[in-house]
Amino acid sequence: MSLLAVSNLTKRYRRGDKTIAAVDDVSFHIDPGETLALAGPSGSGKSTIARLVLRLIEPDAGRIDFEGDDFLALRSAALRARRASLQMVFQDPLAAFNPRATVARVLDDPLRIHGIASRTERPRRIAALLERVGLTADLAPRAIHEISGGQRQRVAIARAVATKPSLIVLDEAVSALDVSVRGQILDLLLDLQRQERIAYLFISHDLGVIRAIAHRVVLLDAGRIAESGDACAVIDAPQSAIGKALVAAAPRLNRTTQDAS
Amino acid sequence: MTALATIRDLTVTYRRDGGEVTALKGINLGIASGERLAIIGESGSGKSTLALAIAGLLPASSAVSGRIEWPGLAHAPLGGRDIGFVFQDPSASLDPVMTAGKQIAEVARTHLGLTWAQAFAKAKHLLERVRLPDPDSALRAFPHQLSGGQKQRVAIAAAIAAGPKLLIADEATSALDTIVQAEIVALIRRLVTEDGMTLLFISHDIALAAELAERIAVFRHGQLVELGTTAQIVGAPTQPYTRALLDAHIGLDAEPLLNRAGLHA
Repeated sequence: MSLLAVSNLTKRYRRGDKTIAAVDDVSFHIDPGETLALAGPSGSGKSTIARLVLRLIEPDAGRIDFEGDDFLALRSAALRARRASLQMVFQDPLAAFNPRATVARVLDDPLRIHGIASRTERPRRIAALLERVGLTADLAPRAIHEISGGQRQRVAIARAVATKPSLIVLDEAVSALDVSVRGQILDLLLDLQRQERIAYLFISHDLGVIRAIAHRVVLLDAGRIAESGDACAVIDAPQSAIGKALVAAAPRLNRTTQDAS
Repeated sequence: MTALATIRDLTVTYRRDGGEVTALKGINLGIASGERLAIIGESGSGKSTLALAIAGLLPASSAVSGRIEWPGLAHAPLGGRDIGFVFQDPSASLDPVMTAGKQIAEVARTHLGLTWAQAFAKAKHLLERVRLPDPDSALRAFPHQLSGGQKQRVAIAAAIAAGPKLLIADEATSALDTIVQAEIVALIRRLVTEDGMTLLFISHDIALAAELAERIAVFRHGQLVELGTTAQIVGAPTQPYTRALLDAHIGLDAEPLLNRAGLHA
């Protein structure tokens, strides 16, 4: 059975006297340990889908099944408990965290809120989480605003994996990173997936990164699914108009020819 | 080719939290008239400081040593007239309560001595040149009524309104989606060619820079690491850092990381 199954999901917004479907009858599924990428131009609905799956907003129609339950039917305590299984990492961790909080505080919150470790146990768990994402325990007392962007995104990933989730929504999670850091973060995500069988809903505008890290891809256009399938197969030979446009627009680095235009 | 600008031993230091941060260290660089030169680097490389220094837009708190000479101009450059600047975020560079037409017309009026009527006619022509779908309504549109790509087209129209010799685009396409980014890059290339402008294209993206620029300067930690033609930098880099940047690019032909990790669902 799928870990996450999204069926006929629809979200409309009113703009003036017009109603716009930001997400229009979208269905897809993610298996345990799988990476599904969502790609599309600005306004195609990919971030709205992320927020719907996280239940940060509610859909107008459709169904979300997560870990075998009707996720949209979960309320209050049951929903809060289930949030441990469904984590998120956004583009800008500085915006996601209180910048003056320490690294230890950011990692302590999920452990405390979800009752994962006792007060005396938590410092040890925090040190282990930092090491798990390639950081050292001496980073714990530092403030979020003092550490580098790459370190901050590792802390965001550590926080996400603290509650042992089955699915992490990654919304442009590597887009703002320097390229030299981006490769390391992608390697970390793959390593965590392999070790802990975490599934990713990986939202990105970068088809190169998607092709490198995702098993399958869903291409969106104006809130609808234009095309979906194996990530390499779709990106290597797109069938839809938007797929062809996205592939054509991706910058190419031709390192073999000496012919500069 | 003649030199438009020559940068000699440029060092820029910012005062920050009581300490000093050196953003650029002893930079020597020539910009040829009419060339498309890309400045690439990661965060903290000094690439945006270089753009601001060339445009004369450094904050007052910065300490500058060295010189920027302008053999290609008969006079000291004036920002807005001789140098057009396009920033990453058009929402921040456009006035939210002024129509697109007026923002462009103001540049033409200030620097070209046109009347408002002439300046608005010029603005309409510029909106056509940057290929806004409906120039007449765009003229009267406020920035919030336009999409991100349309706003950047308006910002480009304002940047070139006075007919500058040099156009500086600082991460001008980084906030746009891939399709709009490709359109804006094509637009910049066309405008620069048509008007014979010199282009300084500042970017973190070496692949994007290589598609547009004739020469590439690679910056790291405030220093110029390597400078060469695009073919040299991309095809035969001499510096390990340049090679590392090229290796870090994940293109559509890259070996999937999943295969390497032995992960297939």
